[in-house]
Amino acid sequence: MNTVIEVAGLSKRFGGFTAIDDVSIAIEENSITGLLGRNGAGKTTMMQLLTGQEFRSSGSIRVFGEDPVENSGVLARTCFVKESQKYPDDYKPVHVFRSAPWFFPNWDAGFAERLVADFRLPLTRRIKKLSRGQLSAIGVIVGLASRAPLTFFDEPYLGLDAVARQTFYDRLLEDYAEHPRTVVLSTHLIDEVSDLLEHVVVIDEGRIVIDGSAEELRDSASTVAGARTAVDAFVAGRRVLHREELGGLASVTVGRLDAADRKAASAAGLELAGVSLQQLVIRTTTTDTSEGRRSA
Amino acid sequence: MDESRPIFLQIAERIENDILGGALAEEGQVPSTNEFASFYRINPATAGKGVNLLVDDGILYKKRGIGMFVSEGSRERLVAKRREQFSQEFVRPLLAEAVKLGISPAQLITMIQKEGS
Amino acid sequence: MTTIALSRSASRTPSSNRVLATFRLHFVNYETVVVLPWLIMAFIFFVNWMIWWMITRSLTSATDLADAREGFGWSGAMFFIFVYMMVVAVQAVNLTFPLAQGYGVTRRDFYLGTSLAFVMLAVAFSLVLTVLAFVEEATDGWGVGGSMFTLNYFGGDVWYERLWMFLVVFLFFFFIGAATAAIYVRWHTKGMYAFFAVLGLLVIGSAAVATLTRSWPAVGDWFVATGVEGLVLWSLVPTAASAVFGWLILRRATPRE
Repeated sequence: MNTVIEVAGLSKRFGGFTAIDDVSIAIEENSITGLLGRNGAGKTTMMQLLTGQEFRSSGSIRVFGEDPVENSGVLARTCFVKESQKYPDDYKPVHVFRSAPWFFPNWDAGFAERLVADFRLPLTRRIKKLSRGQLSAIGVIVGLASRAPLTFFDEPYLGLDAVARQTFYDRLLEDYAEHPRTVVLSTHLIDEVSDLLEHVVVIDEGRIVIDGSAEELRDSASTVAGARTAVDAFVAGRRVLHREELGGLASVTVGRLDAADRKAASAAGLELAGVSLQQLVIRTTTTDTSEGRRSA
Repeated sequence: MDESRPIFLQIAERIENDILGGALAEEGQVPSTNEFASFYRINPATAGKGVNLLVDDGILYKKRGIGMFVSEGSRERLVAKRREQFSQEFVRPLLAEAVKLGISPAQLITMIQKEGS
Repeated sequence: MTTIALSRSASRTPSSNRVLATFRLHFVNYETVVVLPWLIMAFIFFVNWMIWWMITRSLTSATDLADAREGFGWSGAMFFIFVYMMVVAVQAVNLTFPLAQGYGVTRRDFYLGTSLAFVMLAVAFSLVLTVLAFVEEATDGWGVGGSMFTLNYFGGDVWYERLWMFLVVFLFFFFIGAATAAIYVRWHTKGMYAFFAVLGLLVIGSAAVATLTRSWPAVGDWFVATGVEGLVLWSLVPTAASAVFGWLILRRATPRE
């Protein structure tokens, strides 16, 4: 498997504020990676650094083996869909779809047409007059139809209703299956995309807190619930991620449990449940330490 | 897709269930990995892993250029496998729940016979 | 369709393609850049023509008529198109630049493609103005002694001198507009304040120096001696400076909100 993106010791400071702090990650070719984290964690900055739109403070970035800054060879194979993309005054969607093919060598006009119909985008209405969802749809369509070997989607779903979001995920999956490419997707709506992701990277305050395969992550935590004493006995000595109590009951999220552990838990009359990716991300990025313990 | 087990395992199970239930016939063609991915709304790589698991188990096989097919005799094999797991997956939890509710094994057998007829 | 392998990836798009693509990008919405300014010019022309017609109709003495005609020659109507083009340049940098960045165009390719667009527009529009000036002369001021394109500012009797002057002035407004917008894109509001503060200080400072050294007469003499053609030629200096500084400023610009 080829590595498309290699980042080592990357840092970005804006004056006194460190937005990206010593980040090192690698992203494989033809995979879907989720870039997750709270608002202001550094997801957008990360993508801007990877596409040469921002200049790094230190460290190295290699995209397709080269530094992406001012590198037209690399950028021609990249598409970055920003949720805050600005368009010239008086531009209409038709202008965007007319000009995009000039910059994306793999552009599929037929696909773009079908997507315009799917998202019901009014092609000849001024972009200034479009709803937030329609504006996002433009970005989504460009990102999908570009067939760029490396495509970034930065929170592309803003303003899209649930139906439109599902359309986006479906079209992305379909197209990705037929025409594999490397996709990096940042989002807050983790549960909606957790089944799509192969690789999960979680950023918190500029640092990587999780970097692994979605499968590994699923495996990495479980929730044990039942009578408090029994639960406490079982989780003693284990890494506790989260604890909730209600009367005599407790529900504790712990680290990885192997088959033997699971048997022991069942034998003790405890209920086991998985931990959703969203829950896992929340637990590892909550900075308020008092969240660790909550009683009702 | 539930949270507690790897998705690819769940996919493999669903395909097995379809074979057991007769929805997928032996020597019949099985949807492609991409079709599974689309249908279950999961990553194609994950779907592929689930399918490959079944190929490794001999439940499915690949016909070059055409697609995936259900192996002959796989239904029988699956039935045998599931029977082995039946005790662990169904009987033990049943007994545990019965104990909680104070139902004796004898009462349990009566219930089963009643439901069975 | 098969897998897009890294090795046989889409063509390593040469920079030149993307420069041309950026050039085209400025004309995607050509109504605003090409059609609208001329529509407005036509309107301005029409209004002016009505005024010339009314004035010349109501004057009877030959001297009054000659005076009026002379007066027409100082009209500033035509300057509209230059200022409009400056606005086009500002928008090109302010708004088309973020789009080009979104399309993955390098800053270098963007600046080259945009400069190319400016030059083409300047050449094309200068030709149009020259032709209009020619027609104006041939029809003796559009039949009413009017003067919109053959102003006293652009004295040149030979057509290519006129063309040259139009061209230089267009380029001036384009690159000044672009450079100013580049300041905003790079340093945002603070940058704009700083720029205008410095500019203001320079202007006032120079005026103060001129006053203290009593050199205003000399300044006036210089202007008269240089003449319009000379001034236009001198404008190439700030134009070139803007082109260079615009690039230096833009090459480190980032899409910060």
